[in-house]
Amino acid sequence: MKRSLTLLATTSVFAGIAGAAQAQDPFTIQLKWVTQAQFAGYYVAEAQGFYDEAGLDVTIQAGGPDIAPPQVIAAGGADVIVEWMPAALAARERGVDLVNVAQVFDRSGMMLTCTEESGVTTPEDFPGNTLGVWFAGNEYPFLSWMSQLGYSTEGADADVTVLRQGFNVDPLLDGQAACISTMIYNEYWQVVDAGIPEDQLVTFFYEDQGVATLEDGLYALASDLEDPEFVERLGRFIAASMRGWQYAIDNPEEAAEIIVEADPAGVADYDVQLRQMENIATLIEEDGELGLLDPAAFQRTVDVLLASDSDPVITEDPGEAAWTHEAYEAARDHM
Amino acid sequence: MTASMSTATGSGRQAPGGATFGGVFIASVVVLIAALLPVGELGGADASLIGSGGTIALAAVTQLVLAMAALSLGLALGPPSAGSGVLIAGAGIAIGHLLLDKVWDGLDLSVSVGFWVVLALVLCLVWTGMGRLARQRGNATRVLVPLLFGGLIVYVWELTFVGFGVSPVIIPPPTDILASIIANRSILWLDFQHTIVHSALIGFAVGCAAGFLVAVLIDRSSFLQRGLLPIGSAVSAMPIVGTAPILISWFGQGWPASSAVVVIMTFFPMLVNTLAGLQSTGAMERDLMRSYAASYSQTLWRLRLPMALPFMFNALKLNATLALIGAIVSEFFGSPIVGMGFRIVSEQQRLNLDVVWATIAVAAVVGSLSYGVLTIAERVATFWHPSQRGEG
Repeated sequence: MKRSLTLLATTSVFAGIAGAAQAQDPFTIQLKWVTQAQFAGYYVAEAQGFYDEAGLDVTIQAGGPDIAPPQVIAAGGADVIVEWMPAALAARERGVDLVNVAQVFDRSGMMLTCTEESGVTTPEDFPGNTLGVWFAGNEYPFLSWMSQLGYSTEGADADVTVLRQGFNVDPLLDGQAACISTMIYNEYWQVVDAGIPEDQLVTFFYEDQGVATLEDGLYALASDLEDPEFVERLGRFIAASMRGWQYAIDNPEEAAEIIVEADPAGVADYDVQLRQMENIATLIEEDGELGLLDPAAFQRTVDVLLASDSDPVITEDPGEAAWTHEAYEAARDHM
Repeated sequence: MTASMSTATGSGRQAPGGATFGGVFIASVVVLIAALLPVGELGGADASLIGSGGTIALAAVTQLVLAMAALSLGLALGPPSAGSGVLIAGAGIAIGHLLLDKVWDGLDLSVSVGFWVVLALVLCLVWTGMGRLARQRGNATRVLVPLLFGGLIVYVWELTFVGFGVSPVIIPPPTDILASIIANRSILWLDFQHTIVHSALIGFAVGCAAGFLVAVLIDRSSFLQRGLLPIGSAVSAMPIVGTAPILISWFGQGWPASSAVVVIMTFFPMLVNTLAGLQSTGAMERDLMRSYAASYSQTLWRLRLPMALPFMFNALKLNATLALIGAIVSEFFGSPIVGMGFRIVSEQQRLNLDVVWATIAVAAVVGSLSYGVLTIAERVATFWHPSQRGEG
């Protein structure tokens, strides 16, 4: 008895030491929305063990309605966030020093979807109609577009009546709004699934209207980036995440399965997630530099945002301080 | 400090409890020490209340001397005098203002024990002054004490949040909020019209009227009482976070949906209170009316409704609060881009916390004013009730 106890004690001590030697570095990412294929890269990297191989213990925090990632990171609740560039630049101007460390999506998936019976066929038909848009940071591209078209959106006699959209497509189905904001990979298909056939829908892609802004990218705080240890950890995270993204793009069925399993709410549907994954893949350019921010694309987004004179999203060009390739270079060592 | 001293104000009588010469001396020395201690760094050099980096500001010295004089006088006058409270609090305010001025000039509070000494001194002085004032009677002191207390909270808030450089993305300092109220007054006005005038007021009026009418009906028929009352209580128990989205999908995203939410919230309290009021008439009074051969409606109009007024005002005051809550919170679930609830949510997400707090300030003022108006109306309508006659 005494001998086996000693054996047990010795083994646990060694196991403890061995375990401590394998300790993973913690890292927390705050997503922009609920668990869905829009964030497939991170969930796939977790499920396939890419983060483990990189020596990281990653916590993926799903977002949701009323969760604004810039607030989460400003309060210290995450190391890196997934955010759209307009919202990140606006947060910069409010004093949250966000810096783009990776750009995952190259093309914008945002669009305005209208029903045929609303009578809206071109942007000239917008005045006098009700258009829906989400807030919480997603309204900036829309407000920028309206401003460039010269339509006022606030006040008693606004040209366009703006509706604050919830996380559903009811305003279009109820007829409360002539058009609503949709993502090509999500809400657009919710409208189709609800029974309105695609040929009865009129859509305006932000890319086609010349008002597209960069969407999903990774942002960290400038104060964190001054710490070389943080940059090294971030580099490993980015490398593993991009591996996950590449795997998700190449294996959409598997990615959809992983998302369904990872959904804490248990409501994700395989077919919906598969369709979303395939649509997301069309927004990412396969040029071998998955995740590297193109400075020209950054400048295009800034120009679009500055071009709106009424109710501007940002008031000045943030310049090169708002993005960095440093973390991506650190990631290259691990790719 | 128990020996009394003739006062210098010529009141001609000894004020019991006035401070001795020694007490005044000690207080003055404390103020002097606090004035000379470094409170932080201004422009790279150590700064104290009266100057920085070796230079002494004459205006600050004058203000400090006046504060010391007021403090000495106030201490000498002793507790029963309202003047002593005002003087001591005034001294605290003057010293506090010296510190705040420095903070607004950009004082860096990162290192100094002097700051905490001065702050403790200011708090002590204002607190003592408030305490002495609170023991006085009279309308002036009744207004002054809450003002001083509220001002103290706002002062500490402004001082610490600006002095320690707290990010405005977390909570903005009071001066930012005031500036935001002034800068955004047109938007705040539109929001006020949408949420208060349309959603809250109309819902309040309809809900209270409906509750009142149903209560009168129920009082008439015990069948209705047993049938409607449980349903009314079930309706009022439904949480607003459940009813608001449903009503929004029925009425659309505008103020009618918020009004409907307010109607649901205010209906039941009014119903229950009116019913209790109607049933509160004593047997003797009802017998009296019966002996006058009064009909049901005469009894209702001349006896039972007036007796029910105190209960009804209870419900009205409660419903005023509920209406404000209902109108604002229902907008969280869907609204056009105007309204106080919408403003709070969307500006908070845009990290414009100063606009959020400006809206909150407007809501607080509206809530207080409506409560005040109802209290005055209650005093006028129910002057005969013991609860209104209690204050002498």
